[in-house]
Amino acid sequence: MDPVISVQRVTKRRGAQAVLADVSVEVPRGQVVALLGPSGAGKSTLLRCINHLDTIDEGRIFVEGDLIGYKEEGDRMYELPDRAISRQRTKVGMVFQSFNLFRHLTALGNVMAGPINVLGMSRSEADALARKLLAQVGLSEKVASYPNQLSGGQQQRVAIARALAMSPSVMLLDEPTSALDPELTQEVIASIHQLARQGLTLMIATHEMAIARDFADRVLFMVHGELVEDAPSAEFFRAPRHERAKQFVARQE
Amino acid sequence: MSPEPAAAPERRALRIVHRRHFASWVFAALVLAFVAVVVSAGVKSRILDLGVVGRYIFSPEIVTGAINSIALGTVALFLAFAVGLVIALMRVSGNPILVGFSATYVYLFRGTPMLIQLIFWFNAFPTMFKELHLEVFGWVLIDVPMTRLITPYLAALLGLSLAEGAYMAEIIRGGILAVDTGQRDAARSIGMTTGRLMRKIVLPQAARIIVPATGNQYIMLLKSTSLASTIGYLELLRITTDIYSANFRVVELLTVAAFWYLVMTAFATALQTGLEKKFPHR
Repeated sequence: MDPVISVQRVTKRRGAQAVLADVSVEVPRGQVVALLGPSGAGKSTLLRCINHLDTIDEGRIFVEGDLIGYKEEGDRMYELPDRAISRQRTKVGMVFQSFNLFRHLTALGNVMAGPINVLGMSRSEADALARKLLAQVGLSEKVASYPNQLSGGQQQRVAIARALAMSPSVMLLDEPTSALDPELTQEVIASIHQLARQGLTLMIATHEMAIARDFADRVLFMVHGELVEDAPSAEFFRAPRHERAKQFVARQE
Repeated sequence: MSPEPAAAPERRALRIVHRRHFASWVFAALVLAFVAVVVSAGVKSRILDLGVVGRYIFSPEIVTGAINSIALGTVALFLAFAVGLVIALMRVSGNPILVGFSATYVYLFRGTPMLIQLIFWFNAFPTMFKELHLEVFGWVLIDVPMTRLITPYLAALLGLSLAEGAYMAEIIRGGILAVDTGQRDAARSIGMTTGRLMRKIVLPQAARIIVPATGNQYIMLLKSTSLASTIGYLELLRITTDIYSANFRVVELLTVAAFWYLVMTAFATALQTGLEKKFPHR
């Protein structure tokens, strides 16, 4: 089966330093991938590159067979125009560490923003969709609340609903629980778990063991921009191979 | 009775007395005394003939002047906003030429006195460009001497709008920069193009910073219309000056002018408060 996400030998540099060094990974449809590794390993950068929020210096990234952000012509890769990149991004949902809800819009307005402005959905249709998705993440009561009236966990669940509203084929979650206290983390994990059960393809950069061990199918472990270990989740936690991965797993015991 | 057990008889509920600010009350009394002295001195020496003030305050010339002032200031604000928006977007565009142009614009127009700019547009500009001639494929659309085209009103409008545009550019830029990049990332991630995310996400949030500052600028601009008196535009101050140079009732007529400027300011303040409610801080 064709992979939903295909990252092929991607390198990204910041100055002389490679933040992503020759990273390759293929994610089949419906797989839940946990992206682990110390801070600064390049986990967030990899996710941002898959959505072309960051540019790459070498390699190719495909989502659903589409080359993301560039067009190949001869021996060059030309960056696509704004409009074309925006169209590609509608297929990729993204959830951020700091939620990034639109502060001037209610929870409902946040979820409706994409369908109305990007998909051209009618207001009433978008309203119905947004209410359905907010109910799914358990926030039916909060549709009219503004982000500053919501807890961190609630904000992150709105952000998940906002990403879902575009009916993406993959969701990238960039440390979705790192800004939350343990109690709020649980409610967000429950929402993510639900996405996994629905069969959505997920890539989750995380430090949260409950995600990586309990419902991720596969673990990618990154160090200094390199993908040093790629294993089924159970195997990774039973017998990590890379030195840093061993330390990491040992610390979780 | 209180449900408290009788075990702690000494801990009676005492009345709490907050610290009193005696010094500030002493100072307040001094301020009040000062105001009383100034007002009574003014009344005693009859600095003001209220009859004259009353005769001019709603006179047709004065009211016309006030209307001209508020019209000039208001039109200039809208133009300045448009100029400011364009300059601010240039400034944040990242293109070195656009950034350089906008930075230079702000430096020149904010760095020179408005009065000089007004005189420049009225006196210097028409001598630099003698006439405005516009033709398309031999069809003459406009052909007028610049001195006819640049009326005092147009010169004042140009001067105020372009100068104020520089201030507005900085205000709008500040508002745009205050919206964190996470908002842009989020808007991009749901597929918004740069133009759309500016209109739908960044500018509405920048508005809560831009609006109060713009209200301030509106008040400044309404008062700056008085500069147009020097190039002969018949706004409030010019009309007032013309009247008192004939009848020498300087104090009364300046009082009348001040009254109308205060009315304008009150109007602008009310407008600002209303707009701020439309863009609440979140």
